[in-house]
Amino acid sequence: MDIEQKQEEHINHFVNQASNLDGPSLVTVINDAISHPSLFAFSEILSLPNVTQLQGTEYSRYIDLLQMFAYGTWSEYKSNASNLPPLAPDQALKLKQLTVLTLAETNKVLPYDGLMQELDVLNVRELEDFLINECMYVGIVRGKLDQLRRCFQVQFAAGRDLRPGQLGSMIHTLSNWLSTSDNLLITIQDKIKWADRMSEQDKKHKKEAEEKLEEAKKTLSLKSHTMSRGGLTYEAMRMRRCSPNLVE
Amino acid sequence: MAEASQTQTMATSSSGLTFKLHPLVIVNISDHHTRVKSQSQPPPHTCHQQDNSSSSSSSTNTVAANGSNRVFGCVIGVQRGRTVEIFNSFELLYDPVTNSLDRGFLEKKQELYKKVFPNFYVLGWYSTGADAEESDMQIHKALMDINESPVYVLLNPLINHSQKDLPVTIYESEMHVIDGIPQLIFVRSSYTIETVEAERISVDHVAHLKPSDGGSAATQLAAHLTGIHSAIKMLNSRIRVLHHYLNAMQNGEIPVENSLLRQVSSLLRRLPAIESQKFQDDFLMEYNDTLLISYLAMFTDCSSTMNDLVDKINVAYERVSRRGGRTAFI
Repeated sequence: MDIEQKQEEHINHFVNQASNLDGPSLVTVINDAISHPSLFAFSEILSLPNVTQLQGTEYSRYIDLLQMFAYGTWSEYKSNASNLPPLAPDQALKLKQLTVLTLAETNKVLPYDGLMQELDVLNVRELEDFLINECMYVGIVRGKLDQLRRCFQVQFAAGRDLRPGQLGSMIHTLSNWLSTSDNLLITIQDKIKWADRMSEQDKKHKKEAEEKLEEAKKTLSLKSHTMSRGGLTYEAMRMRRCSPNLVE
Repeated sequence: MAEASQTQTMATSSSGLTFKLHPLVIVNISDHHTRVKSQSQPPPHTCHQQDNSSSSSSSTNTVAANGSNRVFGCVIGVQRGRTVEIFNSFELLYDPVTNSLDRGFLEKKQELYKKVFPNFYVLGWYSTGADAEESDMQIHKALMDINESPVYVLLNPLINHSQKDLPVTIYESEMHVIDGIPQLIFVRSSYTIETVEAERISVDHVAHLKPSDGGSAATQLAAHLTGIHSAIKMLNSRIRVLHHYLNAMQNGEIPVENSLLRQVSSLLRRLPAIESQKFQDDFLMEYNDTLLISYLAMFTDCSSTMNDLVDKINVAYERVSRRGGRTAFI
Protein backbone atom coordinates (compact mmCIF):
# COMPACT_ATOMS: atom_id res chain seq x y z
CA MET A 1 0.00 0.00 0.00
CA ASP A 2 2.96 2.32 0.40
CA ILE A 3 3.64 2.11 -3.30
CA GLU A 4 0.32 3.84 -3.78
CA GLN A 5 1.30 6.62 -1.44
CA LYS A 6 4.59 7.05 -3.22
CA GLN A 7 2.82 7.29 -6.54
CA GLU A 8 0.18 9.71 -5.43
CA GLU A 9 2.25 12.84 -5.68
CA HIS A 10 3.65 11.84 -9.04
CA ILE A 11 0.18 11.14 -10.34
CA ASN A 12 -1.06 14.51 -9.15
CA HIS A 13 1.93 16.21 -10.67
CA PHE A 14 1.42 14.66 -14.06
CA VAL A 15 -2.31 15.17 -14.02
CA ASN A 16 -1.80 18.84 -13.29
CA GLN A 17 0.74 19.14 -16.05
CA ALA A 18 -1.34 17.28 -18.60
CA SER A 19 -4.63 19.00 -17.96
CA ASN A 20 -3.30 22.32 -19.15
CA LEU A 21 -1.52 21.17 -22.26
CA ASP A 22 -2.47 19.94 -25.65
CA GLY A 23 -1.05 18.29 -28.72
CA PRO A 24 2.68 17.68 -28.94
CA SER A 25 3.43 19.01 -25.48
CA LEU A 26 0.94 16.48 -24.16
CA VAL A 27 2.92 13.81 -25.94
CA THR A 28 6.04 14.88 -24.09
CA VAL A 29 4.16 14.72 -20.81
CA ILE A 30 2.99 11.23 -21.65
CA ASN A 31 6.52 10.18 -22.45
CA ASP A 32 7.74 11.65 -19.18
CA ALA A 33 5.06 9.83 -17.28
CA ILE A 34 5.92 6.53 -18.92
CA SER A 35 9.62 6.83 -18.20
CA HIS A 36 9.24 7.99 -14.62
CA PRO A 37 10.81 5.26 -12.46
CA SER A 38 8.25 5.30 -9.67
CA LEU A 39 5.04 5.71 -11.58
CA PHE A 40 3.07 2.56 -12.30
CA ALA A 41 -0.44 3.85 -12.47
CA PHE A 42 -1.71 5.54 -15.57
CA SER A 43 -5.47 5.39 -15.47
CA GLU A 44 -5.76 8.86 -13.95
CA ILE A 45 -3.85 10.32 -16.86
CA LEU A 46 -5.83 8.23 -19.30
CA SER A 47 -9.10 9.52 -18.01
CA LEU A 48 -8.21 13.16 -18.57
CA PRO A 49 -10.32 14.69 -21.36
CA ASN A 50 -7.29 16.26 -23.12
CA VAL A 51 -5.73 12.88 -23.40
CA THR A 52 -8.78 11.13 -24.78
CA GLN A 53 -9.05 13.90 -27.36
CA LEU A 54 -5.76 12.78 -28.79
CA GLN A 55 -7.43 9.58 -29.88
CA GLY A 56 -8.38 10.58 -33.38
CA THR A 57 -5.35 12.71 -34.19
CA GLU A 58 -1.93 11.72 -35.43
CA TYR A 59 -0.83 11.26 -31.87
CA SER A 60 -3.26 8.41 -31.27
CA ARG A 61 -0.28 6.10 -31.22
CA TYR A 62 0.68 7.64 -27.93
CA ILE A 63 -2.75 6.96 -26.52
CA ASP A 64 -2.35 3.34 -27.50
CA LEU A 65 1.08 3.34 -25.92
CA LEU A 66 -0.33 4.76 -22.71
CA GLN A 67 -3.03 2.14 -22.74
CA MET A 68 -0.39 -0.51 -23.31
CA PHE A 69 1.41 0.73 -20.23
CA ALA A 70 -1.80 0.78 -18.26
CA TYR A 71 -3.07 -2.66 -19.18
CA GLY A 72 -0.71 -4.56 -21.43
CA THR A 73 2.41 -6.65 -21.23
CA TRP A 74 5.77 -6.81 -22.93
CA SER A 75 4.74 -9.58 -25.32
CA GLU A 76 1.69 -7.59 -26.40
CA TYR A 77 3.96 -4.68 -27.13
CA LYS A 78 6.25 -6.84 -29.21
CA SER A 79 3.40 -8.19 -31.30
CA ASN A 80 2.10 -4.67 -31.86
CA ALA A 81 5.45 -2.94 -32.24
CA SER A 82 4.73 -1.70 -35.72
CA ASN A 83 1.81 0.43 -34.64
CA LEU A 84 3.40 1.90 -31.58
CA PRO A 85 6.22 4.39 -31.16
CA PRO A 86 9.60 2.97 -30.19
CA LEU A 87 10.45 2.63 -26.53
CA ALA A 88 13.37 4.13 -24.72
CA PRO A 89 15.29 1.65 -22.52
CA ASP A 90 13.79 2.85 -19.22
CA GLN A 91 10.35 2.68 -20.74
CA ALA A 92 11.01 -0.87 -21.81
CA LEU A 93 12.14 -1.67 -18.31
CA LYS A 94 8.96 -0.16 -16.94
CA LEU A 95 6.87 -2.27 -19.26
CA LYS A 96 8.68 -5.40 -18.14
CA GLN A 97 8.01 -4.55 -14.50
CA LEU A 98 4.36 -4.09 -15.32
CA THR A 99 4.41 -7.46 -17.08
CA VAL A 100 5.55 -9.12 -13.87
CA LEU A 101 2.64 -7.49 -12.09
CA THR A 102 0.20 -8.82 -14.65
CA LEU A 103 1.61 -12.30 -14.40
CA ALA A 104 1.30 -12.15 -10.65
CA GLU A 105 -2.38 -11.42 -11.13
CA THR A 106 -3.24 -14.90 -12.22
CA ASN A 107 -0.73 -17.13 -10.47
CA LYS A 108 0.90 -16.93 -7.13
CA VAL A 109 3.74 -19.19 -8.14
CA LEU A 110 5.51 -18.02 -11.28
CA PRO A 111 7.88 -20.53 -12.89
CA TYR A 112 11.21 -19.18 -14.06
CA ASP A 113 10.73 -20.49 -17.59
CA GLY A 114 7.48 -18.64 -18.07
CA LEU A 115 9.02 -15.48 -16.70
CA MET A 116 12.06 -15.76 -18.92
CA GLN A 117 9.87 -16.18 -21.94
CA GLU A 118 7.61 -13.27 -21.12
CA LEU A 119 10.42 -10.91 -20.30
CA ASP A 120 12.82 -11.94 -23.06
CA VAL A 121 15.52 -12.81 -20.61
CA LEU A 122 17.98 -15.53 -21.50
CA ASN A 123 19.34 -16.84 -18.24
CA VAL A 124 18.26 -17.32 -14.69
CA ARG A 125 20.91 -14.99 -13.29
CA GLU A 126 19.63 -12.06 -15.33
CA LEU A 127 16.05 -12.90 -14.42
CA GLU A 128 16.83 -13.00 -10.73
CA ASP A 129 18.75 -9.74 -10.94
CA PHE A 130 15.84 -8.14 -12.68
CA LEU A 131 13.37 -9.43 -10.14
CA ILE A 132 15.44 -8.40 -7.18
CA ASN A 133 16.65 -5.01 -8.31
CA GLU A 134 13.82 -3.77 -10.42
CA CYS A 135 10.83 -5.33 -8.77
CA MET A 136 11.50 -6.04 -5.11
CA TYR A 137 13.67 -3.10 -4.21
CA VAL A 138 11.26 -0.74 -5.95
CA GLY A 139 8.52 -2.29 -3.84
CA ILE A 140 6.00 -3.40 -6.40
CA VAL A 141 6.31 -7.07 -5.54
CA ARG A 142 7.25 -9.01 -2.45
CA GLY A 143 7.94 -12.70 -2.53
CA LYS A 144 10.38 -15.54 -2.33
CA LEU A 145 12.68 -16.82 -5.03
CA ASP A 146 12.79 -20.59 -4.97
CA GLN A 147 15.80 -21.58 -7.00
CA LEU A 148 15.52 -25.31 -6.43
CA ARG A 149 12.03 -25.46 -7.80
CA ARG A 150 12.78 -22.64 -10.24
CA CYS A 151 9.83 -20.55 -9.32
CA PHE A 152 9.01 -17.21 -7.81
CA GLN A 153 6.41 -17.24 -5.05
CA VAL A 154 4.58 -13.96 -4.94
CA GLN A 155 3.31 -12.77 -1.60
CA PHE A 156 2.34 -9.28 -2.53
CA ALA A 157 2.02 -7.51 -5.85
CA ALA A 158 1.00 -3.91 -6.35
CA GLY A 159 -2.17 -3.35 -8.29
CA ARG A 160 -2.19 -2.36 -11.91
CA ASP A 161 -4.78 -0.16 -13.51
CA LEU A 162 -8.09 -1.84 -13.88
CA ARG A 163 -9.57 -2.59 -17.21
CA PRO A 164 -13.20 -1.56 -17.31
CA GLY A 165 -14.45 -5.14 -17.01
CA GLN A 166 -12.30 -6.15 -14.12
CA LEU A 167 -14.39 -4.44 -11.48
CA GLY A 168 -17.11 -7.04 -11.89
CA SER A 169 -14.72 -9.92 -11.36
CA MET A 170 -13.27 -8.23 -8.30
CA ILE A 171 -16.72 -7.92 -6.78
CA HIS A 172 -17.33 -11.56 -7.57
CA THR A 173 -14.09 -12.57 -5.83
CA LEU A 174 -15.00 -10.49 -2.80
CA SER A 175 -18.41 -12.09 -2.51
CA ASN A 176 -16.83 -15.54 -2.74
CA TRP A 177 -14.44 -14.58 0.02
CA LEU A 178 -17.34 -13.37 2.12
CA SER A 179 -19.33 -16.56 1.70
CA THR A 180 -16.28 -18.70 2.52
CA SER A 181 -15.62 -16.81 5.70
CA ASP A 182 -19.30 -17.03 6.67
CA ASN A 183 -19.21 -20.78 6.21
CA LEU A 184 -16.04 -20.96 8.23
CA LEU A 185 -17.65 -19.01 11.06
CA ILE A 186 -20.59 -21.40 11.12
CA THR A 187 -18.23 -24.40 11.12
CA ILE A 188 -16.25 -22.99 14.04
CA GLN A 189 -19.41 -22.40 16.02
CA ASP A 190 -20.50 -25.96 15.40
CA LYS A 191 -17.10 -27.20 16.55
CA ILE A 192 -17.37 -25.19 19.76
CA LYS A 193 -20.80 -26.66 20.43
CA TRP A 194 -19.49 -30.12 19.67
CA ALA A 195 -16.62 -29.67 22.12
CA ASP A 196 -19.01 -28.53 24.84
CA ARG A 197 -21.38 -31.40 24.13
CA MET A 198 -18.58 -33.95 24.27
CA SER A 199 -17.32 -32.62 27.57
CA GLU A 200 -20.87 -32.76 28.98
CA GLN A 201 -21.24 -36.35 27.89
CA ASP A 202 -17.88 -37.21 29.34
CA LYS A 203 -18.80 -35.72 32.70
CA LYS A 204 -22.11 -37.55 32.71
CA HIS A 205 -20.40 -40.81 31.90
CA LYS A 206 -17.90 -40.33 34.71
CA LYS A 207 -20.66 -39.54 37.16
CA GLU A 208 -22.61 -42.63 36.17
CA ALA A 209 -19.53 -44.81 36.51
CA GLU A 210 -18.85 -43.41 39.96
CA GLU A 211 -22.45 -43.95 41.02
CA LYS A 212 -22.27 -47.56 39.91
CA LEU A 213 -19.05 -47.94 41.87
CA GLU A 214 -20.70 -46.53 44.99
CA GLU A 215 -23.66 -48.84 44.60
CA ALA A 216 -21.42 -51.84 44.14
CA LYS A 217 -19.47 -50.89 47.23
CA LYS A 218 -22.68 -50.57 49.25
CA THR A 219 -24.11 -53.90 48.15
CA LEU A 220 -20.82 -55.60 48.89
CA SER A 221 -20.57 -54.11 52.33
CA LEU A 222 -24.06 -55.47 52.97
CA LYS A 223 -23.01 -58.83 51.68
CA SER A 224 -19.93 -58.88 53.88
CA HIS A 225 -22.29 -58.29 56.81
CA THR A 226 -24.36 -61.31 55.91
CA MET A 227 -21.21 -63.32 55.29
CA SER A 228 -19.75 -62.62 58.66
CA ARG A 229 -22.75 -64.36 60.24
CA GLY A 230 -21.18 -67.65 59.32
CA GLY A 231 -20.66 -69.98 56.44
CA LEU A 232 -20.04 -69.15 52.91
CA THR A 233 -22.78 -67.67 50.82
CA TYR A 234 -23.77 -69.29 47.59
CA GLU A 235 -21.75 -66.74 45.59
CA ALA A 236 -18.65 -67.35 47.61
CA MET A 237 -18.87 -71.09 46.92
CA ARG A 238 -19.31 -70.44 43.23
CA MET A 239 -16.34 -68.05 43.26
CA ARG A 240 -14.17 -70.69 44.84
CA ARG A 241 -15.07 -73.13 42.13
CA CYS A 242 -14.48 -70.85 39.19
CA SER A 243 -11.53 -68.88 40.55
CA PRO A 244 -8.97 -71.46 39.32
CA ASN A 245 -10.27 -70.86 35.76
CA LEU A 246 -10.00 -67.10 36.14
CA VAL A 247 -6.49 -67.03 37.53
CA GLU A 248 -5.33 -69.09 34.56
CA MET B 1 -9.10 9.49 64.39
CA ALA B 2 -11.62 6.67 64.34
CA GLU B 3 -14.21 8.55 62.30
CA ALA B 4 -11.48 9.93 60.04
CA SER B 5 -10.37 6.42 59.17
CA GLN B 6 -13.91 5.48 58.20
CA THR B 7 -14.37 8.35 55.81
CA GLN B 8 -10.83 8.04 54.57
CA THR B 9 -11.44 6.00 51.48
CA MET B 10 -15.02 6.74 50.60
CA ALA B 11 -14.69 9.95 48.65
CA THR B 12 -13.78 10.01 45.00
CA SER B 13 -11.11 12.24 43.58
CA SER B 14 -12.03 15.63 42.24
CA SER B 15 -8.67 16.72 41.04
CA GLY B 16 -9.43 15.86 37.42
CA LEU B 17 -6.22 13.96 36.86
CA THR B 18 -6.39 10.94 34.58
CA PHE B 19 -4.27 8.02 35.63
CA LYS B 20 -2.79 5.51 33.28
CA LEU B 21 -1.32 2.39 34.78
CA HIS B 22 1.02 0.05 32.98
CA PRO B 23 0.74 -3.71 33.62
CA LEU B 24 4.43 -3.80 34.49
CA VAL B 25 3.69 -2.00 37.75
CA ILE B 26 0.98 -4.46 38.72
CA VAL B 27 3.21 -7.42 37.91
CA ASN B 28 6.08 -5.85 39.88
CA ILE B 29 3.96 -5.29 42.97
CA SER B 30 2.50 -8.78 42.90
CA ASP B 31 5.96 -10.26 42.32
CA HIS B 32 7.37 -8.34 45.28
CA HIS B 33 4.54 -9.55 47.47
CA THR B 34 4.87 -13.17 46.35
CA ARG B 35 8.62 -13.16 46.86
CA VAL B 36 8.41 -11.80 50.37
CA LYS B 37 5.60 -14.19 51.22
CA SER B 38 7.46 -17.24 49.96
CA GLN B 39 10.73 -16.19 51.57
CA SER B 40 9.13 -15.84 54.97
CA GLN B 41 7.69 -19.33 54.73
CA PRO B 42 10.51 -21.64 53.75
CA PRO B 43 9.71 -25.20 52.55
CA PRO B 44 9.00 -27.84 55.25
CA HIS B 45 12.36 -29.64 55.14
CA THR B 46 14.09 -26.59 56.58
CA CYS B 47 11.53 -26.22 59.30
CA HIS B 48 14.12 -26.16 62.08
CA GLN B 49 15.48 -22.95 60.58
CA GLN B 50 12.00 -21.58 60.18
CA ASP B 51 11.78 -20.07 63.63
CA ASN B 52 14.91 -18.00 63.06
CA SER B 53 13.84 -16.75 59.64
CA SER B 54 10.25 -16.02 60.62
CA SER B 55 11.31 -14.06 63.66
CA SER B 56 13.78 -12.03 61.66
CA SER B 57 11.31 -11.39 58.86
CA SER B 58 8.57 -10.28 61.20
CA SER B 59 10.80 -7.66 62.67
CA THR B 60 11.44 -6.07 59.31
CA ASN B 61 7.96 -6.34 57.87
CA THR B 62 4.63 -5.11 59.07
CA VAL B 63 2.08 -7.82 59.38
CA ALA B 64 -1.29 -6.80 58.05
CA ALA B 65 -4.52 -7.86 59.66
CA ASN B 66 -4.87 -10.95 57.51
CA GLY B 67 -1.45 -12.21 58.52
CA SER B 68 0.47 -11.71 55.27
CA ASN B 69 3.21 -9.15 55.11
CA ARG B 70 2.81 -5.78 53.54
CA VAL B 71 5.34 -4.72 50.99
CA PHE B 72 6.21 -1.19 50.00
CA GLY B 73 7.78 0.50 47.10
CA CYS B 74 7.89 3.50 44.88
CA VAL B 75 6.20 4.12 41.53
CA ILE B 76 7.73 6.20 38.81
CA GLY B 77 6.43 7.58 35.59
CA VAL B 78 5.63 10.68 33.61
CA GLN B 79 3.17 13.45 34.27
CA ARG B 80 2.10 15.42 31.22
CA GLY B 81 -0.43 18.07 32.00
CA ARG B 82 -3.46 16.38 33.50
CA THR B 83 -2.39 12.85 32.60
CA VAL B 84 -0.33 10.84 35.00
CA GLU B 85 1.20 7.77 33.42
CA ILE B 86 2.77 5.25 35.77
CA PHE B 87 5.36 3.19 33.95
CA ASN B 88 7.52 1.36 36.44
CA SER B 89 8.07 0.67 40.10
CA PHE B 90 10.78 -0.46 42.47
CA GLU B 91 10.86 -1.81 46.01
CA LEU B 92 11.63 0.08 49.17
CA LEU B 93 12.50 -0.99 52.62
CA TYR B 94 9.99 -0.14 55.29
CA ASP B 95 11.07 0.73 58.78
CA PRO B 96 8.30 -0.19 61.24
CA VAL B 97 10.00 1.65 64.05
CA THR B 98 9.72 5.08 62.55
CA ASN B 99 6.83 4.07 60.24
CA SER B 100 8.55 5.48 57.23
CA LEU B 101 10.31 4.35 54.09
CA ASP B 102 14.07 4.23 53.81
CA ARG B 103 14.88 7.64 52.40
CA GLY B 104 18.52 7.16 51.51
CA PHE B 105 17.75 4.03 49.50
CA LEU B 106 14.93 5.77 47.68
CA GLU B 107 17.17 8.60 46.62
CA LYS B 108 19.92 6.29 45.48
CA LYS B 109 17.47 4.24 43.42
CA GLN B 110 15.94 7.37 42.01
CA GLU B 111 19.34 8.52 40.77
CA LEU B 112 19.99 5.18 39.12
CA TYR B 113 16.63 5.19 37.39
CA LYS B 114 17.15 8.75 36.27
CA LYS B 115 20.23 7.68 34.36
CA VAL B 116 18.35 5.05 32.43
CA PHE B 117 15.01 6.84 32.10
CA PRO B 118 15.64 10.55 32.30
CA ASN B 119 11.95 11.34 31.83
CA PHE B 120 10.64 9.41 34.76
CA TYR B 121 9.86 11.07 38.04
CA VAL B 122 8.83 9.65 41.36
CA LEU B 123 5.07 9.81 41.17
CA GLY B 124 4.17 8.10 44.40
CA TRP B 125 4.34 4.84 46.25
CA TYR B 126 2.64 1.48 46.43
CA SER B 127 1.70 -1.07 49.02
CA THR B 128 -0.33 -4.24 49.41
CA GLY B 129 -3.33 -4.77 51.58
CA ALA B 130 -7.07 -4.76 51.51
CA ASP B 131 -7.67 -1.11 52.27
CA ALA B 132 -5.77 2.07 52.92
CA GLU B 133 -4.69 2.47 56.52
CA GLU B 134 -4.02 5.26 58.96
CA SER B 135 -0.28 4.78 58.97
CA ASP B 136 -0.22 5.13 55.20
CA MET B 137 -0.95 8.83 55.48
CA GLN B 138 2.33 9.34 57.29
CA ILE B 139 4.28 7.72 54.50
CA HIS B 140 2.24 9.70 52.02
CA LYS B 141 3.11 12.96 53.72
CA ALA B 142 6.77 12.01 53.86
CA LEU B 143 6.79 11.62 50.10
CA MET B 144 5.14 14.95 49.55
CA ASP B 145 8.45 16.74 49.47
CA ILE B 146 9.53 14.80 46.40
CA ASN B 147 6.23 15.12 44.59
CA GLU B 148 3.67 17.62 45.83
CA SER B 149 0.77 15.29 45.26
CA PRO B 150 1.93 11.67 45.28
CA VAL B 151 -0.28 8.79 44.27
CA TYR B 152 -0.81 5.73 46.38
CA VAL B 153 -1.27 2.46 44.50
CA LEU B 154 -2.80 -0.31 46.58
CA LEU B 155 -2.89 -3.94 45.49
CA ASN B 156 -5.12 -6.39 47.28
CA PRO B 157 -3.30 -9.74 47.26
CA LEU B 158 -6.32 -11.75 48.38
CA ILE B 159 -7.72 -13.69 45.46
CA ASN B 160 -11.39 -12.99 45.07
CA HIS B 161 -12.93 -15.19 42.40
CA SER B 162 -16.16 -13.25 42.21
CA GLN B 163 -14.42 -9.97 41.58
CA LYS B 164 -14.14 -9.29 37.89
CA ASP B 165 -11.83 -6.28 37.78
CA LEU B 166 -8.30 -5.80 39.01
CA PRO B 167 -7.75 -5.56 42.79
CA VAL B 168 -5.71 -2.41 42.29
CA THR B 169 -6.86 0.97 43.57
CA ILE B 170 -5.21 4.31 43.14
CA TYR B 171 -5.57 6.90 45.87
CA GLU B 172 -4.77 10.56 45.86
CA SER B 173 -4.56 12.85 48.84
CA GLU B 174 -6.89 15.75 49.23
CA MET B 175 -7.45 18.31 51.90
CA HIS B 176 -10.94 17.91 53.27
CA VAL B 177 -12.55 19.61 56.19
CA ILE B 178 -13.80 17.04 58.68
CA ASP B 179 -15.34 18.18 61.95
CA GLY B 180 -13.95 21.62 61.36
CA ILE B 181 -10.36 20.41 61.05
CA PRO B 182 -8.77 20.43 57.62
CA GLN B 183 -7.25 17.02 57.15
CA LEU B 184 -5.49 15.18 54.44
CA ILE B 185 -7.43 12.12 53.44
CA PHE B 186 -7.16 9.53 50.72
CA VAL B 187 -9.59 9.73 47.87
CA ARG B 188 -10.05 7.07 45.24
CA SER B 189 -9.30 7.79 41.62
CA SER B 190 -10.19 5.90 38.55
CA TYR B 191 -7.50 4.73 36.19
CA THR B 192 -7.05 3.07 32.86
CA ILE B 193 -4.58 0.45 31.86
CA GLU B 194 -2.19 1.43 29.14
CA THR B 195 0.11 -1.09 27.49
CA VAL B 196 3.15 -0.98 25.32
CA GLU B 197 3.32 -3.72 22.70
CA ALA B 198 5.92 -5.66 24.68
CA GLU B 199 3.72 -5.59 27.76
CA ARG B 200 0.71 -6.73 25.82
CA ILE B 201 2.56 -9.72 24.38
CA SER B 202 3.90 -10.85 27.73
CA VAL B 203 0.58 -10.49 29.53
CA ASP B 204 -1.13 -12.37 26.71
CA HIS B 205 1.47 -15.11 26.95
CA VAL B 206 1.01 -15.51 30.69
CA ALA B 207 -2.75 -15.47 30.38
CA HIS B 208 -2.68 -18.32 27.90
CA LEU B 209 -0.28 -20.48 29.87
CA LYS B 210 -2.97 -21.70 32.16
CA PRO B 211 -6.73 -21.38 31.72
CA SER B 212 -8.21 -19.05 34.25
CA ASP B 213 -10.24 -21.61 36.12
CA GLY B 214 -8.23 -24.72 35.31
CA GLY B 215 -10.82 -25.91 32.83
CA SER B 216 -10.67 -29.17 30.99
CA ALA B 217 -9.38 -29.72 27.49
CA ALA B 218 -12.81 -28.95 26.09
CA THR B 219 -12.94 -25.48 27.61
CA GLN B 220 -9.43 -24.74 26.36
CA LEU B 221 -10.44 -25.82 22.89
CA ALA B 222 -13.60 -23.76 23.10
CA ALA B 223 -11.63 -20.72 24.25
CA HIS B 224 -9.13 -21.10 21.43
CA LEU B 225 -11.87 -21.54 18.85
CA THR B 226 -13.75 -18.55 20.20
CA GLY B 227 -10.65 -16.44 19.71
CA ILE B 228 -10.33 -17.55 16.11
CA HIS B 229 -14.05 -17.03 15.59
CA SER B 230 -13.96 -13.41 16.69
CA ALA B 231 -10.89 -12.71 14.55
CA ILE B 232 -12.55 -14.11 11.45
CA LYS B 233 -15.74 -12.25 12.24
CA MET B 234 -13.85 -8.98 12.24
CA LEU B 235 -12.20 -9.85 8.94
CA ASN B 236 -15.61 -10.71 7.56
CA SER B 237 -17.11 -7.36 8.50
CA ARG B 238 -14.21 -5.49 6.91
CA ILE B 239 -14.50 -7.44 3.68
CA ARG B 240 -18.21 -6.74 3.67
CA VAL B 241 -17.47 -3.03 3.82
CA LEU B 242 -15.12 -3.32 0.84
CA HIS B 243 -17.67 -5.36 -1.06
CA HIS B 244 -20.37 -2.80 -0.45
CA TYR B 245 -18.02 -0.02 -1.49
CA LEU B 246 -17.10 -1.72 -4.75
CA ASN B 247 -20.71 -2.42 -5.53
CA ALA B 248 -21.58 1.19 -5.01
CA MET B 249 -18.71 2.18 -7.25
CA GLN B 250 -19.92 -0.15 -9.94
CA ASN B 251 -23.45 1.20 -9.76
CA GLY B 252 -22.05 4.64 -10.16
CA GLU B 253 -23.13 6.02 -6.81
CA ILE B 254 -19.56 6.92 -5.92
CA PRO B 255 -16.99 8.41 -8.26
CA VAL B 256 -14.43 5.91 -9.37
CA GLU B 257 -11.26 6.15 -7.36
CA ASN B 258 -8.45 4.43 -9.13
CA SER B 259 -5.86 4.28 -6.42
CA LEU B 260 -8.25 2.48 -4.10
CA LEU B 261 -9.23 0.06 -6.83
CA ARG B 262 -5.61 -0.73 -7.42
CA GLN B 263 -5.07 -1.44 -3.76
CA VAL B 264 -8.11 -3.68 -3.61
CA SER B 265 -6.97 -5.60 -6.66
CA SER B 266 -3.54 -6.12 -5.14
CA LEU B 267 -5.23 -7.33 -1.97
CA LEU B 268 -7.36 -9.80 -3.87
CA ARG B 269 -4.31 -11.14 -5.58
CA ARG B 270 -3.05 -12.37 -2.25
CA LEU B 271 -5.88 -14.88 -2.25
CA PRO B 272 -5.84 -17.84 -2.08
CA ALA B 273 -3.53 -17.34 0.84
CA ILE B 274 -2.03 -20.78 0.99
CA GLU B 275 -2.57 -23.24 -1.75
CA SER B 276 0.66 -24.64 -3.07
CA GLN B 277 1.30 -28.33 -3.23
CA LYS B 278 4.03 -28.05 -0.65
CA PHE B 279 1.62 -26.64 1.88
CA GLN B 280 -0.80 -29.50 1.33
CA ASP B 281 1.96 -32.03 1.88
CA ASP B 282 3.23 -30.35 5.05
CA PHE B 283 -0.24 -29.87 6.42
CA LEU B 284 -1.30 -33.47 5.84
CA MET B 285 1.93 -34.73 7.34
CA GLU B 286 1.43 -32.71 10.50
CA TYR B 287 -2.22 -33.71 10.71
CA ASN B 288 -1.32 -37.38 10.41
CA ASP B 289 1.42 -37.06 12.98
CA THR B 290 -0.94 -35.51 15.50
CA LEU B 291 -3.57 -38.18 14.91
CA LEU B 292 -0.97 -40.91 15.28
CA ILE B 293 0.32 -39.49 18.52
CA SER B 294 -3.13 -39.20 20.05
CA TYR B 295 -3.89 -42.76 18.90
CA LEU B 296 -0.67 -43.95 20.52
CA ALA B 297 -1.47 -42.10 23.72
CA MET B 298 -4.90 -43.66 23.79
CA PHE B 299 -3.36 -47.09 23.33
CA THR B 300 -0.90 -46.56 26.14
CA ASP B 301 -3.69 -45.38 28.39
CA CYS B 302 -5.82 -48.39 27.55
CA SER B 303 -3.02 -50.85 28.10
CA SER B 304 -2.16 -49.36 31.48
CA THR B 305 -5.82 -49.53 32.53
CA MET B 306 -5.89 -53.11 31.35
CA ASN B 307 -2.80 -53.85 33.41
CA ASP B 308 -4.42 -52.39 36.50
CA LEU B 309 -7.53 -54.45 35.92
CA VAL B 310 -5.51 -57.63 35.57
CA ASP B 311 -3.65 -56.88 38.78
CA LYS B 312 -6.89 -56.27 40.60
CA ILE B 313 -8.42 -59.51 39.38
CA ASN B 314 -5.32 -61.39 40.36
CA VAL B 315 -5.45 -59.96 43.82
CA ALA B 316 -9.16 -60.61 44.12
CA TYR B 317 -9.26 -64.19 42.95
CA GLU B 318 -6.00 -65.66 44.14
CA ARG B 319 -5.80 -69.38 44.43
CA VAL B 320 -3.89 -69.26 47.64
CA SER B 321 -6.25 -67.57 50.02
CA ARG B 322 -7.23 -70.10 52.61
CA ARG B 323 -6.99 -67.83 55.58
CA GLY B 324 -9.77 -68.75 57.89
CA GLY B 325 -11.42 -70.90 55.23
CA ARG B 326 -12.95 -67.93 53.54
CA THR B 327 -12.02 -66.35 50.26
CA ALA B 328 -11.60 -62.65 50.13
CA PHE B 329 -14.62 -61.38 48.26
CA ILE B 330 -13.17 -58.11 47.13
